[in-house]
Amino acid sequence: MKKTILAALAVMALSGTASAEVIKIGVVGPFSGPFALQGKNFKAGIDAYMALHGNTVGDDTIEIIYRDIPTADPAQSKALGQELIVKEKVQYLAGFYFTPDAMAVTPILKQGNVPMVIMNAATSAIVKTSPLVVRTSFTTWQTSTPIAKVAADAGVKKIISVVSDYGPGIDAENAFKAAFEKAGGEIVEAIRMPLSTNDFSPIMQRIKDSGAQGVFAFLPSGPTTLGFVKAFNDNGLKAAGTKFFAPGDLTQESDLQALGDAALGIQTTFHYAVSHDSPENKTFVEAAVKAIGNKAELSFPSVGAYDGMHVIYKMIEATGGERDAQKAVDAVKGLSWTSPRGPVSIDPDSRHITQNIYLREVAKTSDGSYINKEVQTFEKQGDPGLAATK
Amino acid sequence: MQTVFSIAVDALAYGMVLFVISIGLSVTMGLMRVVNLAHGGFAMIGGYIASYVARDLGLGYALAIIAAVVFTILIAIPIERLLYRRIYGQPELTQVLMTIGITFCIIGIANFTMGPTLKTIPLAPALQGSADIGFRTIPIHRLFAIVCGLAVALGLWYAIEKTNFGIKLRASVDNAAMAAALGVRTEIVYAVSFAVAVGLAALGGVVGAEFLPVEPYYALRYMVTFLVVVSVGGAGSIPGALAACLLLGAIDTTGRYLMPEFGEFFFYLAVIAVICIFPRGLAGRAK
Amino acid sequence: MSADLKVNKAADNAAKTERLRAGFIQRDLIGFAVIVIVAALGYVLFPDNLALLTRILAIALLVLSLDLVTGYCGVATLGQAALYGSGAYAAGILSAHYGVTDPLVMTLGGILAGAVAGLLCSIVMLRAHGLPQLVLSIALVYLFHEFANKASSWTGGSDGLSGITLDPLFGIFEFDLFGHTAYFFGVALLLLTFILLRALVRSPFGMLCRGIKEDPVRVRALGASPHRALVKMYVISGAVAGAGGALSAVSTQVVALDSLSFTQSAEALVMLVLGGTGSLFGGLLGTVIFMLFEDFVSAANPFHWLTMVGALLIAVVLFAPKGLYGTMESAYARIRKRHDGEARE
Repeated sequence: MKKTILAALAVMALSGTASAEVIKIGVVGPFSGPFALQGKNFKAGIDAYMALHGNTVGDDTIEIIYRDIPTADPAQSKALGQELIVKEKVQYLAGFYFTPDAMAVTPILKQGNVPMVIMNAATSAIVKTSPLVVRTSFTTWQTSTPIAKVAADAGVKKIISVVSDYGPGIDAENAFKAAFEKAGGEIVEAIRMPLSTNDFSPIMQRIKDSGAQGVFAFLPSGPTTLGFVKAFNDNGLKAAGTKFFAPGDLTQESDLQALGDAALGIQTTFHYAVSHDSPENKTFVEAAVKAIGNKAELSFPSVGAYDGMHVIYKMIEATGGERDAQKAVDAVKGLSWTSPRGPVSIDPDSRHITQNIYLREVAKTSDGSYINKEVQTFEKQGDPGLAATK
Repeated sequence: MQTVFSIAVDALAYGMVLFVISIGLSVTMGLMRVVNLAHGGFAMIGGYIASYVARDLGLGYALAIIAAVVFTILIAIPIERLLYRRIYGQPELTQVLMTIGITFCIIGIANFTMGPTLKTIPLAPALQGSADIGFRTIPIHRLFAIVCGLAVALGLWYAIEKTNFGIKLRASVDNAAMAAALGVRTEIVYAVSFAVAVGLAALGGVVGAEFLPVEPYYALRYMVTFLVVVSVGGAGSIPGALAACLLLGAIDTTGRYLMPEFGEFFFYLAVIAVICIFPRGLAGRAK
Repeated sequence: MSADLKVNKAADNAAKTERLRAGFIQRDLIGFAVIVIVAALGYVLFPDNLALLTRILAIALLVLSLDLVTGYCGVATLGQAALYGSGAYAAGILSAHYGVTDPLVMTLGGILAGAVAGLLCSIVMLRAHGLPQLVLSIALVYLFHEFANKASSWTGGSDGLSGITLDPLFGIFEFDLFGHTAYFFGVALLLLTFILLRALVRSPFGMLCRGIKEDPVRVRALGASPHRALVKMYVISGAVAGAGGALSAVSTQVVALDSLSFTQSAEALVMLVLGGTGSLFGGLLGTVIFMLFEDFVSAANPFHWLTMVGALLIAVVLFAPKGLYGTMESAYARIRKRHDGEARE
C-alpha cells in the first residue's frame, strides 16, 4: 500500500515537472561598456514581449538569464555559451550583438541541443555555420541594397562609398556597389576609414575632390556617426548639394536626438523605425519605453529582440517545452507574423528573416524630437548577402 | 595647392583640439608624476555638466564652460584628497591600477546616472556656422578651438615659468622634501596643480565635444590618444605637447586624406618613429 | 670578539643562502602543489564552469609572460596582447588554412609565433624607457591589431577566424562541449610553463634580468649586455604568451581581433599589478582573483558591474599597495620575523 502511494506520488511529481517546467533562455549581449545602449535595447525588447505576452508558454514558465560581453570577444562568448548550456541548462540561446560572438557559439549548439536566435549580429554567413541558427534582426546586405536603388532613382550617377574598415562596413560597401552598378550607376571611389577616426574633415575633403554627386556611408551606430554627419555639414558638402545615402545604422533613433538638425533630410534604408505607423508598433513602443525608461534610448536592437522572443515562444509551443533543438527550429521555418516593423517571415532555407525594408528621411516632429520618417517601402526583402557570398 | 592648404587648416584645428584636451594630463604626468589614466573621465564629467547646463537648463555656452570647469574641480577635490594623495610618489604601475579603477567607477556611475546615449552641448549662436577664410570655409567652432588652445598654452607657460607658484611647483616636483623644508606647502601646491589639471580636462571635454562626443565610454575610448599625445610631446612640457599635437594632428589628417584605409598605420608608425628619434619625447627633460 | 662576530656572520650568511636555496625549492614544490590542488578543486567544485576556468588558464599564461618583462625586467608595456594574439592566430591559421589539426602542433605553432612576435616587439620596445616605452607598446599593439584587421583573408578580419577544427588530444580525448579535455590540457600547459619559468627566474640569467631592472648601468659596468638579455627575455615572454594564445584558440576554436587588442593588454597588466609584480605567484593570484570577481559581478549584475571592478582596484591600491601576493608575502615575513625573534630570545 505504502509503496503504491509512493509510486503514485513519484509519478505525480514527475509528470508535474514535465508539464510545468521552468524554461531558461540565455541572452548574451553588450550590457555594459561602449555598446551598453544596444544591450539595454535587447532587454527592453525582451521585457516588452514578456509584459505583453506573459512569462508562461502553456504550463511552462520562462526565465531569462543575461550574460554580458561588452565588446566583440569570442573567447568570452564561447565560455559564456558553454556555461549557459552546461551549468544553467538553458534551452535556448539568444541575443548576440556582434558577429564573432555568435560565430564562437554556433559550433556547440548541436552538441548542446540548443537553438540560437540571433537578435542582432548582421553578417550574412552566420546562418550557414549551424542549422540551429535563426535570425530575427537584419543583415548589412539586406539593409544596404535597397538604398542603391533609391540613389539610382534619384538620378545620381556617380557615388563615392565611405565605410568603416571592418566586417559590416565592407559588407555594406560590397552590397551597395553590387546593387548600384546593376542599376547603372558608377562607384567613383571606395574609401575604408579606420573605426577609430575622430576627425572626418580629411574624409570630407576626399569626397569633395572625388567629384561624386552623392556619398554612400556606413558607420556603426554610436558616437562616430555624430562626428561624421557634422563634418559633412560643416565642410559645406550638404550646402553644395551632395546627396547622402546610408543604411539606417547611421541614424539610429538613440543617436538621432544628438545629431539633431544636422541630420535633417538624410535618407537611409533600414528594417525598423521607432516611428513606424502601425497598431502593433504602437503597442510595442509603449511597452518597450516602459521597460527602458526613456524613449530617447529606444532603438532597432529592441525590435530584433522582441521578434526573437516571438520566435522562441513559438518554438516552445511547438516542442511542448521539451528540449529538441531541431524540432524547434523546423517549427519556425516559414513562420510568418506581423511584427512591430511590419509583415515578416522566417525564410525556410536560410532561417533568416524576410522583411520590408523602408526608405526613411530624418524629420523633426512637432514636439521637437527627431524621427526616421518612412517614405517608401521595399516589400519582402530577403538576404542578398548569402547569395552573393556563396 | 588649395587642397594642401585645406588639409593644413584641418590638421591645425584637430591638433589644437587634441592639445586642449590632453594638456591637463601633461601637467599631472609631467609635473606631478602621476600617470592619471582617469584624465578622460574628468573631461567627460566636464562634458556632461556642460551638456546639462547648456541643453537642459538652456543657460548658454559660455556659462556651460564655466560651470563645467568649476563643478568638475569641485567633484575632483574629494577624489584628490581621498585617493590621489595616496599614490603621489608611488610606482607607476600602482598609479595605473588606481586610476584605471577610478575610470571604471566614473564610467559606471555616468552610465547609471546619465544613461548611455550621446549628449550634445549646444554651441553659442556666434560659434555656429562656417566662416569664409578665402580659399574655403571653416566651421567657426574650430577657430574657437584653435584660439582656446593658444590661450591655454600661453597661460600655462606663463604660470609655470614666470609666476611664484610655478617656481614652487617645480621645486616640489624636483625635490618635495627639500621644498617642504624651505617652507613650500607641497600639499597645497599639489592640490592646486591637480585642480588646474582637472579644470583643463573639463575645458577640453567641452571644447572638444564636437570631435569627441560625450557618452559614458568616453573615459576609456580616448585614453590612448591622450596618453600617446602627451608622451610624444614629453610629459610636462607645454611647448612639447603643443608640438606633438600639431605634428600628430598633421600626420593623422594627412594620412586619413591620402590613404584612409591605412590611417592607423600612419599614425602609430609616426608615433614609433618619433619616440625612436626622441626617446624622451619631443621636449623631454633629461632626468 | 669582533673576529668571532665575523666568523659568526659568515656562517650565518652561508646558512642563509643555504636556507634561501632550500626555501626556493620548497616554494617551487609548494607552488606546484597549490596549482595542482586549486586546479583539482576547480574541477570538482565547478564542473560546469570549465570553459571559464580554461579561459583563466589562458589569460594566466598571458599574465605570467607579462610578469617576465614587466615584473622581472622593468619594461613597462601595455602591448603584451600583441604576443598573445600572434600565438592565437598562428594556432588558428594552422588549423583553418593548413589543415593542421593536432592540438599539440597548433600549440607549438602558437609558441613559435609568440616568440617571433616577441623578438619583433623587443626591437622597437627597447629603444625607450618609462612612459615613452609604454606608448611604444601601445603603438605596437595597435599596429598588430590593424594588420590582422587588414589581412582578413587570413584572419577573418573583424568577423573573427572561425573554422578551426581539432583532432582529439593524443588521438583519444575529444575537445567537446563540456571542456574537460581543454581544461586538463590547459592545466598541464600552465604547470609545465610554471616549472620552467621558476627555473628561469632563479637562473643566473633571471638574476641578471632583475639586476637590469634595478640598475642597468651597473649591469653594463659588470660586462653584461642588458640589451641582449632583455631581447632574450622578450622572446621567452613571447613564447609563453603565445602558448596562452594557442590555448585560447584550441579551447574556443575561434580567434578574433580582441586577442590582439589594447584592452586585453591593459586587463592583463591590471591583473598582474593586482596580484603583485615580480613574482610568478602574484601574477597567477591576480589573474584568478580578477577573473573570478569579474565573472561573479558581471553575472550578478550584467548592467552595472564595471563600478564594482573599479572599486576593487581602488581598494587594492589603498589596502594592499604591493599587490595581493606582495602584501601577503610581507605580512607573512613580518609574522615570521617576530616569531624568529621570539624564538631567539
